[in-house]
Amino acid sequence: MGKKELKVAFLLALRSLQRGSKSSVILTVIIIAMCFTNMIFLPSMLNGIGQSITKQIMDYETSDVIVDPKIGNQYVEDKDAKLALINGMSGVQRASPHYSKAATLKYRQRVLGVTLRAITPKDEMLVSPLYTKMVAGSYLGEGDTGEIILAKPVAGDPTIKREDEFQPSLGGVRVGDSITVEFANGFTKDYRVKGIYYTGWYVADATGYITWSDMEQVEGKTLENAEYITVKAKPGYTEKFIKNELIQYGIPDRVQTSTDVLAKNMGRILQSYAIINVVSMFVSVIITVVVLFIIITIKTINSRRQIGILKAIGVDKEVIMHNYGFQVIILAVLGIILGIIIALLLNVYMTYNPIVTADWTTSLYMTPMDLAINSLILFIAAIVAGYLPAYQVSREDIQSAMRA
Amino acid sequence: MIRITDLRKIYQMGDVEVRALDGVTTDIAKGEFLGIMGASGSGKTTLLHMLGLLDEPTSGQIVIEGTDVSQLTDHEKTMFRLYKLGYVFQDYALVPDLTVMENVTLTAMLRKDRTEEQYRKEGSIVLQKIGLFDRRDHLPRELSGGQQQRVSIARAMVNKPDILFADEPCANLDSENSRMVLDLFREINEEMQQTIVMVSHEEWHKNYFHRIIHLKDGKIVSDGDNQ
Repeated sequence: MGKKELKVAFLLALRSLQRGSKSSVILTVIIIAMCFTNMIFLPSMLNGIGQSITKQIMDYETSDVIVDPKIGNQYVEDKDAKLALINGMSGVQRASPHYSKAATLKYRQRVLGVTLRAITPKDEMLVSPLYTKMVAGSYLGEGDTGEIILAKPVAGDPTIKREDEFQPSLGGVRVGDSITVEFANGFTKDYRVKGIYYTGWYVADATGYITWSDMEQVEGKTLENAEYITVKAKPGYTEKFIKNELIQYGIPDRVQTSTDVLAKNMGRILQSYAIINVVSMFVSVIITVVVLFIIITIKTINSRRQIGILKAIGVDKEVIMHNYGFQVIILAVLGIILGIIIALLLNVYMTYNPIVTADWTTSLYMTPMDLAINSLILFIAAIVAGYLPAYQVSREDIQSAMRA
Repeated sequence: MIRITDLRKIYQMGDVEVRALDGVTTDIAKGEFLGIMGASGSGKTTLLHMLGLLDEPTSGQIVIEGTDVSQLTDHEKTMFRLYKLGYVFQDYALVPDLTVMENVTLTAMLRKDRTEEQYRKEGSIVLQKIGLFDRRDHLPRELSGGQQQRVSIARAMVNKPDILFADEPCANLDSENSRMVLDLFREINEEMQQTIVMVSHEEWHKNYFHRIIHLKDGKIVSDGDNQ
């Protein structure tokens, strides 16, 4: 195939689309765009869920690296020494200790069991974005005593009846209210609600936080141990680097990166998402292939006599085949461009209107690479679908074609 | 010059053998305006298609300008049609999505020996000759039947083929347009010494032909100069 042949094939293709049935062209482009959107939407949403869960786990559970008690121990011992050591490491932004205890919250006639977390607010601010999630009141201060911050779902909404609640709550606690907290060890104390937060992560939103000193009062002793320590890396340092650094510095406890934790807890879920993504993509590609195959087959069948005439006057079968090939390429490119526009618009829409469930909040997560790969797959599928009938009809003998 | 020797085309219709051409032998001289006439089913279109390399004979030989066309490959036949032959069909057979100019220059665009400037110039000349230059940007559906057939002739002529084949080119035209088309053929034949082989069943077309072959049941029943 020379340049002239390709030029003629392109001219025939372009003119056929320009001057042929406009509705057919528009419909085909929309179908391809819808197939592309279908290919990209579900995987992007599942990726978004995965990314959202990952981010929320990192933000509110593990940070970049989590130090858990070594096997057989209940706590990370000698936490002050370890915190001093970890905070002195080159790649560490901050380490924050955590301590949890089961408690029963009481407010008016409501009783709710939760696991309260104790933190050192100053450290936690450098490790977790919890302090940015306050919807009422303020975050805990380092010297606070007798104060608590509660998740919005725990505080509840006074306008919602108990029987209508999605999850049990205290029925509408407001900032400044006093709630009674009875811990598992029997220690009971009234706390003033200093703030109410909402993270969108179901674990964090099912609890409340008090200061470390308040938890020491609950336990009746100085807490030298931590349930676990979360470590935030400085910008430019990887979590793997921090993990290795911690191990090299002789931290004897179980050191895991967030990726390690996610692989254990989320690995199967993410694998399932990957399978769904592949199935979704496969179905979309098949639909596109079938639709384009039918469209080009109908076009070629309707044009058999014209194809015969073109061959009769000296137009090579390759030119005729590429004519339909170019038509498919143009339709596929237009469809993919429209599909990308729709996908990007959906992305923008869902950024401002995320999907909110009781467990997580998510929007679409798509990268330029996702768009490029899906475009390429659809493009190749479209070419295959278009060229098959074009190849068949271009090889038909002139007499049969002209008699059609 | 075209030399046809014992040309046969046999179709098998179930158990019945149909002899569309049954031993046709004749020569066509360069510059000749040959008319192939006969009743419907006599084999005239089949003979034209054989000569135009649009169909394969069952047996026999066709030699065009010294080339035994039965020896050509499929691609070589396509190139032979592109460079040596021109066609005018009964139903004009224009590409509906191309303009008049694009239809006329389509095959010229494919030729290696034509630049874009050349084929545009030649297309314009041919369209001026048939009186449709001012309609060069129109689509075929915007033209009358006679105009479409003239475009079809222009398309066949733009490459200056050695032989022009016309398959009942006036079948869908009224007598005035038919006369216009036949006058155009005569003009091309006389001015350019163009060999034209034309199938027709209209008796009055005889006046335009130098020589007439009459076919019946796939055989030549008469072959002679037009008096």
